[in-house]
Amino acid sequence: MINWGKVWSDFFIFLALTSNVGFIFSHDPYQLVIAIGVNLLATVLKFGAKKILAAELLATALVADLHLIPATILYFMETHVPLAIGLAIGAAVANVISIVMLVIEIIFEYQKEEEL
Amino acid sequence: MKNNNRKKQKHYGDVRPKNYRAIYEEKFYDILFQLRYPLMTVIFFTTIGVLALMIINGKSDGTSVLNYFFHTVITFSTVGYTEGYDVDPQHLMMNRFFATIFIIISIPFVYMYGLVTTVNVFINSNIAEIYNYWRMYKAMEQLRGHYIICRFNGITRELMKNLKRRGIKFVLVEPDPSLEQEIKDFGVDFYVIDEPHKRSVLLGVGIEHAKGLVTAFEDNTQDLSVIVTARLIRPDKEHFMVFATATTEGAAEKMKLLGANEVIVPDVSVGRRMTSFILHPPSPVLSGFLEKIAYGERTDIDIMEIRIDSNSDLVGKKLKDIRMRQETGATIVAIIRADGKMKIAPSGETEIKEGDSLIVLGHPKALKRVEEFFESHQIENEEEVART
Repeated sequence: MINWGKVWSDFFIFLALTSNVGFIFSHDPYQLVIAIGVNLLATVLKFGAKKILAAELLATALVADLHLIPATILYFMETHVPLAIGLAIGAAVANVISIVMLVIEIIFEYQKEEEL
Repeated sequence: MKNNNRKKQKHYGDVRPKNYRAIYEEKFYDILFQLRYPLMTVIFFTTIGVLALMIINGKSDGTSVLNYFFHTVITFSTVGYTEGYDVDPQHLMMNRFFATIFIIISIPFVYMYGLVTTVNVFINSNIAEIYNYWRMYKAMEQLRGHYIICRFNGITRELMKNLKRRGIKFVLVEPDPSLEQEIKDFGVDFYVIDEPHKRSVLLGVGIEHAKGLVTAFEDNTQDLSVIVTARLIRPDKEHFMVFATATTEGAAEKMKLLGANEVIVPDVSVGRRMTSFILHPPSPVLSGFLEKIAYGERTDIDIMEIRIDSNSDLVGKKLKDIRMRQETGATIVAIIRADGKMKIAPSGETEIKEGDSLIVLGHPKALKRVEEFFESHQIENEEEVART
């Protein structure tokens, strides 16, 4: 049986990475607005989750946000566009770490199920 | 014997202490959890609003995007100026059409649900109260050498009043949640509403660092279970004191056998006191004088017992020769010999013997000096001093 709650939260975590990578390669303002929106959603989704790596997941999401918010401001001010791209790449790294931890968590959960 | 001990410890090590601070930290976290969906709605609609305006107007420069963001926020906050950006006349109709649809959809979600729920969560979640509990339990974790008191009633009220006067720290454990307000009003610094016979609770209130435990339930079975649980965690009777009340002498005896240091039967104690009033009619000065000293009600005078063992070089000396009163200011009021015979108000000629207990009366500071005085007369100590 598929756990739809998990589909929902994992969807945003993956989308945060993909939309971010999309912006890094396209330098497109539309893509940037989507990326920051999805990243903020992914952060809020991690609020209050009581899992093994909950604190680490929330921390990486906040790191991604704190990269993307200044990146958005810099990009639309058109002053330091290369820096904005650099910050977005930083955010993408945080997104990747977040996914790695998600996978670790899945493995832990499967082990727990087996123990039960 | 050693094996037995190890087995016990292993078994008892399995129980994890209840972390009262963490319970309230989790409550903070639960507030965040409740904010998840309302905040998601706000973020989602903001993103959609900005994106749609970018697409409709075909503009993606910084000023326009900021204006679109501004416009989206004033829309669902129901502030509602007209367009917060310059509209190309050819796009005006499309903009107005989108704005109408967007307002109809977004205001119920974002304004009614998202923002109102967020405010509601903050108002209804007693953040200040959670913070107060959290602060109390954080401070409780730092306690060392405190006492654990079980049950909030007349007996423990009197006890806590006196401990407070002496500046002794204690944690109150009370199983009845309806008494919480009374406990707060009484001014107890540290309290836990929980069952004191649970190992996790006793570990959670720091029994491993505590000096002692007092259990004063009206019901013997509860006292017994607390005593046994506490003794299993802290088996050492000398370093961890357990005091209890019992309703009958039979129960008191059982409690002592199961690990209590002292057990008081309130009915018997009160009856004996009444007898003493009848036998020695009360006088205004003397009445209650010794009792006040013995019960620690007076802070300027105290009484203590000093044991003379074979290591003391005072054995065989006369009281007048050891010059204790001149050096410390406290007085030996009685000597209890090893065989249990008591010598009241001993003269200077009285000889100190091995196994004696000296009862010393004086100011608390003088009694401190008495402790040091007798420690300095330990033969072992002197040898160590000589070695160093």
